[in-house]
Amino acid sequence: MSLDEATRSRISELVESKEVVLFMKGNPQSPQCGFSARVVKILDAYLPEYSTLDVLSNPDIREGLKSYSSWPTIPQLYVRGEFIGGCDIITEMSESGELFEALGVEPPPEVVPTLHITDKAAAGLRQAAEQNASGAGQQLRLSVSTSFESALSVGSKAKLDIEVESNGVTLLVDRLSAQRAEGITIDIIDTPRGPGFKVDNPNAPSKGELSVQDLKQLLDTDEKFELLDVRTPREFETARIEGAHLLDEAEYERIQALPKDTKIVLFCHHGPRGANMADQLLAAGFTNVHNVVGGIEAWSDEIDASVPRY
Amino acid sequence: MAIHVTGGSGASEVVEAIRGSILEAIPNAEVRVSTGGPGHFEIRVESPVFEGQRRVQQQQLVYGAIAHLMAGSDAPVHAVDRLECVSP
Repeated sequence: MSLDEATRSRISELVESKEVVLFMKGNPQSPQCGFSARVVKILDAYLPEYSTLDVLSNPDIREGLKSYSSWPTIPQLYVRGEFIGGCDIITEMSESGELFEALGVEPPPEVVPTLHITDKAAAGLRQAAEQNASGAGQQLRLSVSTSFESALSVGSKAKLDIEVESNGVTLLVDRLSAQRAEGITIDIIDTPRGPGFKVDNPNAPSKGELSVQDLKQLLDTDEKFELLDVRTPREFETARIEGAHLLDEAEYERIQALPKDTKIVLFCHHGPRGANMADQLLAAGFTNVHNVVGGIEAWSDEIDASVPRY
Repeated sequence: MAIHVTGGSGASEVVEAIRGSILEAIPNAEVRVSTGGPGHFEIRVESPVFEGQRRVQQQQLVYGAIAHLMAGSDAPVHAVDRLECVSP
């Protein structure tokens, strides 16, 4: 397939205009495809800023790129004008540590974070390692994303990985995760879906508290946020705050799919359930989570007496 | 509503076209092509030409060879689900 000269020179200008250029579907705030989203997430961990171009609104570029790089798919990453690869290759390079050099980023120094693994979690991790280790050289890995989302997985050791030992368990931590992992506690807790690992990261942004007056003020502005009612459907029927969504399963799924910096305000009857849910959302990677102090009780008491108390 | 037309070429003809195009670009290669869903293929290419090349370069060589089969919205090759390049 031919690539006309005008498109070719436009692409070369684009890839040479900036140090790092990512051609993707959508933009970093709302990627329109899982592969683009994955590369954005990886790059965010390495670079404070980089340039992106949405091929969905530039069909000529999208088609031209295929010939330009002999690469049929989007996303495509370029550094100083050179094509680096697509999603699979970027993922692999990140895992192997090669991406530092490719992006011209100095790897952070090898600082071993202190981890606390409880006895229960240590036993669970050993068991998980045995069950998941498909081949030799497979080890447990802890990763912490830029939004402080933690993940445990099994994989092989890469060149720049740091080995961290706690309670007889050794975990691999990559250099970028290690910077956000100091003081992490790993425990096993009971969840509605059975026992699961809980990673508690003291470096994660803590939940904010909101007074009912703050909430009233917030509702009176144009600022966009999600107001979530974490009470039971029956309580929701009894009394509600205008504009709030009941956080049922479907709603929880919708919330999980939102960008992690979405502003979320939670409330319950008196406060504690909202605080628990705030912890859960922060653990899931959300960074802008608030709980209303005093819950709906305080709301009817201080803001809107027409909301029934119960 | 758009209807997806795979065109007149059957999967086996497309497999042959892929094989042929890769062999034209890399004559000494051993090429295996298998079909996934409609328009989806898995390709394995073995050739000494890949030696010392980075993975992206190896794949560019293959993608470049079959670019004409992947061009346009009604291309016979919609996606390569898996591309493995190995040097013997």
